[in-house]
Amino acid sequence: MTPQNPRISAVCLALLAGSTATAWDLKLGEKTASFHGFASQGFLASTDYDYLGRSRDGSFEFNEFGLNTSISPFNRTRITAQAFTFDVGNVGNYELILDYASIEYTVNDHVGFRGGRVRRPGGIYNHIQDVDLARTAILLPQGMYDARWRDFSTSIDGGLVFGSFSLGSGGALSYEAYAGYMNLSKEGGVARILENGLPPAPIGGFSGIDKSLIAGAQLWWNTPVDGLRFGVSGGQVFDFTWHISVAPPFGPGGMKTEVDIPFGQVSLEYQKDGWTFQTEYYSYKTTGFDMLENGMILAPTSSQPDVWYVGLSKRLTPWLELGSYYTEYFTDVDNRGGVGTAVPSDAFQKDAALSARFDITDWWIFKLEGHYIRGTGLLHSSTLNPVRNDDGWWLFAAKTTLSF
Amino acid sequence: MKRHILFPGLFALLSVLSCVALDGVVVVNEAVPATQLTAGALKDILTGKTMYWDGGAAINIVTAGEKADAALEQASGMTPSAFKTHWQRLAFSGRGQPPKKADDAAKALALVASTKGAIAILPAGSDTKGAKSLAIQ
Repeated sequence: MTPQNPRISAVCLALLAGSTATAWDLKLGEKTASFHGFASQGFLASTDYDYLGRSRDGSFEFNEFGLNTSISPFNRTRITAQAFTFDVGNVGNYELILDYASIEYTVNDHVGFRGGRVRRPGGIYNHIQDVDLARTAILLPQGMYDARWRDFSTSIDGGLVFGSFSLGSGGALSYEAYAGYMNLSKEGGVARILENGLPPAPIGGFSGIDKSLIAGAQLWWNTPVDGLRFGVSGGQVFDFTWHISVAPPFGPGGMKTEVDIPFGQVSLEYQKDGWTFQTEYYSYKTTGFDMLENGMILAPTSSQPDVWYVGLSKRLTPWLELGSYYTEYFTDVDNRGGVGTAVPSDAFQKDAALSARFDITDWWIFKLEGHYIRGTGLLHSSTLNPVRNDDGWWLFAAKTTLSF
Repeated sequence: MKRHILFPGLFALLSVLSCVALDGVVVVNEAVPATQLTAGALKDILTGKTMYWDGGAAINIVTAGEKADAALEQASGMTPSAFKTHWQRLAFSGRGQPPKKADDAAKALALVASTKGAIAILPAGSDTKGAKSLAIQ
């Protein structure tokens, strides 16, 4: 087993357990700042492959801690911020980050503005993918909401406009449109995945990722059928660029890859009598060029992965919820079987999951989950998993979360 | 011909069902300007779609314990667990201020009385002294 920084986990969990699970309020004159937080500690164990950490030996490198505050200092205005730290395998490593920090002004129900570091909407879970409290499953469908990609997917530095409109007997429409810059760490999940695709050092080395502009929108149609909503989102990352250093005999020198990444997602959710049905489809495309640092183009590059899932959960009692989903991820929509590639099983990952959530108290939950997986398309670690095939394998997860 | 009779009848039945009186009493802080709400406006507040009163003061939702769960479910359209999950989603993504929890109607009433912009649904027949009762249309 590989417990990482167990003192931090234990201290955070103990602090939360001792908090009596009540929000902290801080009086600032006539105004009140409210504080909320959560601490999650997980465990992963798998057969055959190391996934999301060194899971074959059993791994406790799977946790999140968040503390947020919000205050409404003026009419129609709210300021909110969250500090966050997490660890998933070799990503996160308890680095403390300012997850979001924004000021929001709501003109009316139809129009509002939020600026600063803001959560980026995308489907049902993108803006809440690290909130274990907000779902039945421990692991969301990983081809869509990869636990290692949160620096790419969750927050941007920029602005967002939001609002909703009644459609009369046709339900209601809500929207969020955003633009801003992503800040990707050289140690982050996207960096690790790009690094995994490079020739081994010293021939190639990962140098970093530039700040990239992203813009997009999320629309939700809350239909006249109570509990049924339909969503569409889309956008583009502009000039996403990463850099590689090249050593002799092919160097010394530097190369970069510069791509545009348009993406789109459709979502359907229906909640009724404790049942929740969800299905989503997501795809993105990278198109651009590999080039020398001086701008000389070496070769065009492109890829188009896609992923879908269907899931169902049921709240059986106030303390027990069961859920299940099935998801398929493909690295290349034009070659879903990986025909002709060095490792065909890297072309896909198909995952059937069964989850149980226990709400032990109002502020303490515990989850158990099993996965049967075929394919290795999301392992993203050739070093830990040098031999891969399409035989089925198992992943077991457990997680507990305290909140206030 | 039967179809023409069936559909207006069905809509009338649905309208009647949707207008069933709330099995609880809605109270707000005395400083809240509203004197009445439609069921739709109350649902928008409870789901976080409307976060400010007319005039711009922030809405602070207070929950009143298990005895008020049925009325809260009736007004919000969400089971208690779905309501809780919904607000956790909003709170931890920086999109909303989650409801303040009170153990029972008396404590919720006291919280509403002392918190600007507060609103709570209490079990039917609860004491409302110190707060303002809202009519739900």
